[in-house]
Amino acid sequence: MILTIALKELRDTWRDGRFRIGGTLLVVLLIVSGVLAWQQNERTRAERDAATELDRRNWLEQGEKNSHSAGHYGLYAFKPTAPLAAFDRGVEPYVGSSVFLEAHRRNATSFLPAQDATNMRRFGELTASLSLQILVPLLIVLLAFGALAAERERGTLRQLLSLGVDPVQLVVGKFLGIALALALLLVPLIAVGAWLLSGTGEAGDPNLTRRILFLIGAYGLYLGTFLAIAVAVSARCRTGRGALALLLGLWAFNCVLAPRLATDLVEQWVPTPQLAEFDAAIAADLKKGIDGHDSRDVHLQKFTQETLAKHGKQNVMELPFNFNGLVMLESEKFSSEVYGHHYARMWDQLEAQDRATTLTGALAPMLALRTASMALSGTDLSQHRHFADASERHRMEFMRVLNEDLMKNARPGDHGYRVGRTLWEQLPPFVLAPREWDAVWTSVAAALGILGAWFAGSFLWLYMSARRMRLEVA
Amino acid sequence: MSLFQLELRLMFRERAVLALLALFVLSLGYGIANGLELAERQRKEADALIIESSQFNKQVRDALERQALDPRQAMGSGHLALLPPPGFAVLSGGQADLLPSHERIILWRTEDPSEGKIGLANPTQLLTGRFDLAFVLIWLFPLFLLALIYDLCAGDRESGTLRLALSRGIGAWKLLGVRVLARGTPMTALALGAVLFAALLGGEGLSLPVWIATGVVLAYGLFWCAVALLSNCFTRTAAAAATVAGAAWVIFVMVIPTLLNVVVESAHPMPSRAELVAKLREASGDAERRSNELINTFYKDHPELAPPGMQADMLQRRLAVQEEIGRAMDPIYKEFDTELADQQQVVERWRFASPAIAAYEALSDLAGTGYWRHRAFRDQVAAFKDAVFEFYSPKFHKRQPLVKADIPMLPSFAFREEESAAVQGRTLSAMAGILALALLCLAPCALRLSRGASGKLVS
Repeated sequence: MILTIALKELRDTWRDGRFRIGGTLLVVLLIVSGVLAWQQNERTRAERDAATELDRRNWLEQGEKNSHSAGHYGLYAFKPTAPLAAFDRGVEPYVGSSVFLEAHRRNATSFLPAQDATNMRRFGELTASLSLQILVPLLIVLLAFGALAAERERGTLRQLLSLGVDPVQLVVGKFLGIALALALLLVPLIAVGAWLLSGTGEAGDPNLTRRILFLIGAYGLYLGTFLAIAVAVSARCRTGRGALALLLGLWAFNCVLAPRLATDLVEQWVPTPQLAEFDAAIAADLKKGIDGHDSRDVHLQKFTQETLAKHGKQNVMELPFNFNGLVMLESEKFSSEVYGHHYARMWDQLEAQDRATTLTGALAPMLALRTASMALSGTDLSQHRHFADASERHRMEFMRVLNEDLMKNARPGDHGYRVGRTLWEQLPPFVLAPREWDAVWTSVAAALGILGAWFAGSFLWLYMSARRMRLEVA
Repeated sequence: MSLFQLELRLMFRERAVLALLALFVLSLGYGIANGLELAERQRKEADALIIESSQFNKQVRDALERQALDPRQAMGSGHLALLPPPGFAVLSGGQADLLPSHERIILWRTEDPSEGKIGLANPTQLLTGRFDLAFVLIWLFPLFLLALIYDLCAGDRESGTLRLALSRGIGAWKLLGVRVLARGTPMTALALGAVLFAALLGGEGLSLPVWIATGVVLAYGLFWCAVALLSNCFTRTAAAAATVAGAAWVIFVMVIPTLLNVVVESAHPMPSRAELVAKLREASGDAERRSNELINTFYKDHPELAPPGMQADMLQRRLAVQEEIGRAMDPIYKEFDTELADQQQVVERWRFASPAIAAYEALSDLAGTGYWRHRAFRDQVAAFKDAVFEFYSPKFHKRQPLVKADIPMLPSFAFREEESAAVQGRTLSAMAGILALALLCLAPCALRLSRGASGKLVS
């Protein structure tokens, strides 16, 4: 019986003008957005590869100089493009893609792509993820609002039920019919997209296939929830008009109102740290340690006395190594701890905001889906933190190599000490290791849990709505 | 009782209508409160920067009154170039959270790439956008309005009361026209009131830009009323009318703007920032290596600036190197500016593809948070960098100290606002364009509802 109902609903939906027009528009938008995002991803990847190569060449060909001067010359770390960014660009346009690594300072990533764009960005970006998050639910609303309410208005629902059709089977059949119609529309696109994406970066990320499968699962839960709610509303409303108004209201709340409202309220509850205070706190803490370039610094004077006492010498020139190199090493170690502490607190705060926003997904499932989608696509805040932290570790290693060279190989008091390409080559290029699956899972688990709860809850409600329909005949 | 009053009375009897209006008022209030908070934060940041900069400048002037100073001391942490917070920022956050509103100009770092420091912000929040008044007016206002007016006659047609009403001698055009006005007026009045209220609270007062903003919002509301009328004229059921109105909202507010964004970014792709960074380092590495040659060439070209004995120190070399980097990088920076300007031109040209784009651009422009004001700031900062260079560079090269006579010539930045006629021209044309779009929607309605054809409305 369920199959018969489902096939009839599928046939009706397929013939429906709303499905034909809406579905065609949706398919066109998905293909256009997918192709454009693919092209953009490839272009960005090529640009970053070229920049990485050019910067490496600049580093190797910087000529002979003091190893600490090379630390000031610095180098850049460029963020690799995530293969799944072609599906969901996430926060990528709003975070920098390169960071300057230099002596003494931890720099933030710079050049937000959104700064090189017009005001139009505020309307959102046409991506496959946006289409699936916002437009497919709208199509579901338009297809499902009359599934049962229209039958009720026409009087055919009472006839069906009085013939002994089980309301639960009827509702499930209607659900499956619309779901099959949508599946016929979307599954081929999703299959082609997943196949293309899985071939782009498997070597770079061993979890790529798993990420894609979880993405399909997350979107399946979300769209399934929307369809179940739409059919349930249709089962409960007296008129198609009432069902449509209610469903459009729910859609508008979920897709338009909730995202901005949630992020704004979260900002009130968990405020973002102020840049001036952040910079001032770092500057204050840095003053508590050695300043490698200020001989009047009291911490440096104390460190000098301690080092001399440890080696039983009277003058730094008598030490068996270059004292300036040791000072640079110590200063770098201290400052990187200070930066590490403050940056970790800032990242924790921002991630706490994102977690809170995800939890508001309990009221609007799109918020949970967005978190899951960005995390699984590797374009969320935590992925950016992963890059920022990895580049900082690279900076610390880079400074350690240079300062140790100064300490071990420069004679005390030799201000004309120079090194060249042999040392520059000792420093390997920056490579960002893929994020461990456990870390990705931590970012995504709560969101998937919320989506799962929505899915289960919506089906329970659908079942209860079907049971309620029995009373109509009675 | 007039038809208008009757429609109003009938509408206010529905609880759902009251709930919708209350929700809209709450959204407007929240949008205004958020905008005020953002404007206050911007004002405080600007005040702190101005106080710090004026205190430092006063110290420099006082010191110069007493003695000569090394120019490096006058430079401090850089000459401040500040974009003052706009007076009507409460209307629209625009690009204010993305674009830097100040820069510190330091002579020996004028060629460093601007890092666009905008304060700490959660990128997820930047992606989502703020819940400001412009969001309520552009995104939510039409949704709420359509919820009130989507069923102008379709429901009556289904129930048969439309035939009854028309048989009493009321013309179809009059019936629907009065209905759409009666049902649309309360929400539109709230939206207009919110703009005026925000202007008063935000300190802008009832200035001309505020009245233009209300005009834009009114035109935008009229466009959506026309859409509702159109959907009612050409659909048979209330559900179909709602579907058409909802689809129109999605197409005009979501699909067309995102498509236009794709078009502008594809037609005028920005050069790569990653490559810019790498090229800058290549140019600076090359210039550093040739610094001796560069400074000698410089003094050959500018013998009047050569220091005694032609012996350049580190800073003088740095300035020569910087000039060389500037020469190498200027075409690349110009390419960024040109591409962005071209993108904006495409947006201006195609903004009437969707009234949401035209209205949002106009509101951001009036609020002072749009492209053009920031563009003016960037251009003026570039000119100010040149002024700083021209003032200090000869002193550094000739190793001349700053003296009391230099006080009036010390470079300082004062932002010159764009000509108000230009802003008014852009925003009034946006308003006129949105009204024209509304009329375009009304034309087929007029044909449908004309005296001879009104029977089609009932059938």
